[in-house]
Amino acid sequence: MVRRAGDPPPGILYGVIELHHLTKSYGSTLAVDDLSFKVEPGHVTGFLGPNGAGKSTTLRLILGLDAPTSGQALVNGRRYTSLRRPMREVGALLDAGAVHGGRSAYDHLLCLARSNDIGPRRVSEVLDQAGLAGVARKRVGGFSLGMRQRLGIAAALLGDPGVLMFDEPVNGLDPDGVRWIRELMRSLAAQGRAILLSSHLMSEMALTADRIVIVGCGRLVAEATVTELTTRYPSLEDAYLALTSGSVQYGGAR
Amino acid sequence: MKAVVSSEWLKLRSVTSTYHALATAALPIVLGIVWTVYVTGLADERGSVRAAAPEQGFLPLLQTSLAVLGVLAITSEYATGTIRTSLVAVPKRGALLLAKSGVVGLTTFLAAHVILFVTYATSRLIAGDHHLGFNEASFADEVPMLLASGLSATALALVGLGLGALIRSTAGAIVSVVALLFVLPGIAIYLPPPWNTRVATLLLPNLVPQIAEERLSSRLGDGFLPPWAALTLLLAYPLVTLAIGYYALKRRDA
Repeated sequence: MVRRAGDPPPGILYGVIELHHLTKSYGSTLAVDDLSFKVEPGHVTGFLGPNGAGKSTTLRLILGLDAPTSGQALVNGRRYTSLRRPMREVGALLDAGAVHGGRSAYDHLLCLARSNDIGPRRVSEVLDQAGLAGVARKRVGGFSLGMRQRLGIAAALLGDPGVLMFDEPVNGLDPDGVRWIRELMRSLAAQGRAILLSSHLMSEMALTADRIVIVGCGRLVAEATVTELTTRYPSLEDAYLALTSGSVQYGGAR
Repeated sequence: MKAVVSSEWLKLRSVTSTYHALATAALPIVLGIVWTVYVTGLADERGSVRAAAPEQGFLPLLQTSLAVLGVLAITSEYATGTIRTSLVAVPKRGALLLAKSGVVGLTTFLAAHVILFVTYATSRLIAGDHHLGFNEASFADEVPMLLASGLSATALALVGLGLGALIRSTAGAIVSVVALLFVLPGIAIYLPPPWNTRVATLLLPNLVPQIAEERLSSRLGDGFLPPWAALTLLLAYPLVTLAIGYYALKRRDA
């Protein structure tokens, strides 16, 4: 696989996510425990960890949906909640099911676009890009999981942001869609954007990501490039299993 | 702020539940016609009747329907998870709730007054010169009651929105609104006098006659509040509920 290690095209897009000692506790449970890492521009950073490791909580903390107990998450040097038109700086797909089933795909995106002063032409563009132009006026309630994923990705792209975060974007996608996402991620990163991609599909991750951040029990387990991991271990999957063996909370006996 | 209001306006407009709620709210027009035709027939037999005015008799239906509209404006977002998508697009939670309040407030204010005045006009037209009791006062004398009724429906819609933000469940918020509108006044009546009138005088539905300087009911007699105080209390209901809803929205993780 060809690694695009070169510098991103200068001055086009640039984004960065920084986590500084980010901590979130729910009662006595620590969901995220003193987590610090940086998502660099121009790369796809894979975000890995067992179920319940705190990946989704971390994404929610970055987006200001949950308030951190201590520490902070910065997007382009600022707290997310202080951004005036956040969709122009950060695009996020957290949960493809988080749509009102009675609204059409076009209206769903237009509601989001309007809140950030993005015009209707851009809505049509991202619908085209996500391959949903033909069903734009259909209600989202009738969409399959794969179509909802495409809609969620279209929403993330609306503001043409420099930072993108995707939580399990390939779930429910057909092989065509999986390849589309892989190529989309790589081209977005090549434009200088910072991409944080959470997924459990190791083979997909090996094809898409340049850098890997692994968390377990809310703590940072490893931060490395895919090349480093695949040199040290037979495959990315082996690397993942070896590194997280101590922090699997929910799993069968091995 | 303009962008957020425009987004919220499209949200309200792009789901069918809004139109269902408005259609139910408009039923008093139809029911008012049926009622007036019926009592006009009675008056033909007996010479005169003392019938209730349809815009007052069917007011609870209008109030409940618009309260449901207010509740759904926010709880439908919690039910579908869209609230997270909304808060990622608009991380300033106060701005989001304020925009929703503005859109819900204006929509229900206009809808309530149009429905009430149309109900008033059609019933008086049908009544003609018959002695029905409710059609003997002049329009100028009825205007305070009509405006107070419309304002009460708007207030209830905003109370519904505030309770929705606080409770987050559609069923829970609707039950609370219904309790405020029907259950509490029902209990107040059976308190030992003079407490029945003292408590009833402060309850939301009973503020309408007090603003129009009319008695609460034959059983409770006159309320204790002068019109300006009743009006202030009617405005305080949504303001206090929305403030509590805002505090909950601000403090809690989404």
